[in-house]
Amino acid sequence: MTQTGDYVIETRDLSKSFGEVQALRRVDLKVPQHSIFGFLGPNGAGKTTLMKTLLGLSLPTSGSGRIFGYDIVNESVAIRERIGYLPQQPRFIEYMTARENLEFAAKFFFSGPQVKIRERCDEMLELVGLADKAERPTKGFSGGEKQRLGIALAQVNYPDLLILDEPASALDPLGRQSVLDVMARLRKHTTIFFSTHILDDVQRVSDTVAILNRGQLVASGPIEQILNGKDGVIYTLALKGRSDGLDKRFAELCWVTNTTVTQHNGTSIWQVSVSDESVAEATLLRHVLADQRVTVTEFSRKKYELEEVFMEIVKGDGDGR
Amino acid sequence: MAANMEFVRVNELNGLRGFSNLLHKENRAWWGTRQWWINALLWTGMLGGLTGLMVFVMPSLAAASGDPEVAAMGGEIAFGMELGRTVFFQMSCLALAIGMVVLFQDAFLSEKHAGVTEWILSKPVQRRSYVLAKLAAALFDLPLLLIVLPSLIAYLLLSLRGGTPYPLLPFLGGVGIVSIHTLFYLTLTLMLGTIFNSRGPILGITLGFLLGGSVLGGLVKPLLYITPWMLSKVVPMVVGEQPYPVDLLWVPLATSLLWSMIFVIVAMAKFEKTEF
Repeated sequence: MTQTGDYVIETRDLSKSFGEVQALRRVDLKVPQHSIFGFLGPNGAGKTTLMKTLLGLSLPTSGSGRIFGYDIVNESVAIRERIGYLPQQPRFIEYMTARENLEFAAKFFFSGPQVKIRERCDEMLELVGLADKAERPTKGFSGGEKQRLGIALAQVNYPDLLILDEPASALDPLGRQSVLDVMARLRKHTTIFFSTHILDDVQRVSDTVAILNRGQLVASGPIEQILNGKDGVIYTLALKGRSDGLDKRFAELCWVTNTTVTQHNGTSIWQVSVSDESVAEATLLRHVLADQRVTVTEFSRKKYELEEVFMEIVKGDGDGR
Repeated sequence: MAANMEFVRVNELNGLRGFSNLLHKENRAWWGTRQWWINALLWTGMLGGLTGLMVFVMPSLAAASGDPEVAAMGGEIAFGMELGRTVFFQMSCLALAIGMVVLFQDAFLSEKHAGVTEWILSKPVQRRSYVLAKLAAALFDLPLLLIVLPSLIAYLLLSLRGGTPYPLLPFLGGVGIVSIHTLFYLTLTLMLGTIFNSRGPILGITLGFLLGGSVLGGLVKPLLYITPWMLSKVVPMVVGEQPYPVDLLWVPLATSLLWSMIFVIVAMAKFEKTEF
């Protein structure tokens, strides 16, 4: 095993083909420790394929990957020892009760003591709010209950990494909320790598994000950085009065990279792109106010919604297939 | 994580990680549900009932209808014993092979289609453990109910009809031949379950091989040496301590065992490469 620093998952040029179809194209992914890593992409983008490849359920066509420093092809059992996985549609042994399923999953990791295994299963049932349904066969569970039991099963070994494939996409708003709550509770103990196409969920719980489209990683980084958009940091100014002299003033500032102006009901809306965020934050407004002819009615840093960024990145790519 | 310190970690041979837990699950699926007693009743009832009919009822009917074979064999008892062991062992070969195929054809497919295999393999499990756990459970659980229990009933019926305990050694020899015949079809089904994704080819190939054997074996004689087709015909002779073609017993027995091992190895190799 070779330790790879602060990253739990690291892939290099990871590719996977199914015949003529290239599901993953040279993916370089880095998932930092203790992050909630939202893995975004349209349907068919290759999210599930990547997760299965990381888990050893599918073999890469080329490239490599390491989890906890272990090779995903040759040291898969050692990796799965420290992982919890929730498939897109959680499945269980149907003739077993919720508790029996948990004990079955726990015994892949622990051989005893039986009392402690039982306590762990109780704790997991409590965590996902299924303690009162512990002795029910899973056959009759609702979608939300299955999803929560799936998370309990994935968490039963206290994994260092949880891989969740679309953990909340099939649920109603209440079910989704409850799954996100569970994820938020678990973030203290583990790194969570989850795929979804529900952008709102990512924005609510993730601190790091990657976007996969047509098998290619098209964006990756801290969510704040992604929300800044690919055009970098932009400040928006709403000005009244004569602002025609500002163009010249901005041109003199080396950290201003671009400006655009639009008129709206007698107000000039300026978008100022900057290369140095800290200098801009400290001095941009002062430079504008230095011009006595203008009144500033609004000054803010432009924030994108994740949906805008996502749409911009994948636009024109159809459904990602 | 610190909280895992209080547990005893699974300490299995690296190459068989997950085997004991999976074997426990397979046994639970058999003994923890109604499957076992339904099959116990079905197979024991069918094979025992048929043997009872041959041993106790058919001789009287044959004698009443003036069948010359009854007298040629030395009376109703001897006729019944011959008929009983022939029907029991020949039917056991055929019915148990079909039973194995029917009961085992879904062992891989149902879990694969339901996503359970994918979930299990996301745990620290070696793939060969998954295959071997299914095989080990089938080797222990199914023969116990499908072979041992009906054989016990047949032995009691034959002993009861003969008035003395039936010679144990030839009878056990017959049970052994039936077991190897059944093992061949069990491992063939196991292998096909790892290769195909639907029931059609599994049932078609196994049952076609079983039922088409007598026709094909008659046409291409050497096939009788490398398949288990001849075993069902030889087994009543072995149990009845009658002369039998030695080469058509031992060679097919050896090749059937060899094929069974090959099927298991192919199943493990195929499953190792299967993508989920």
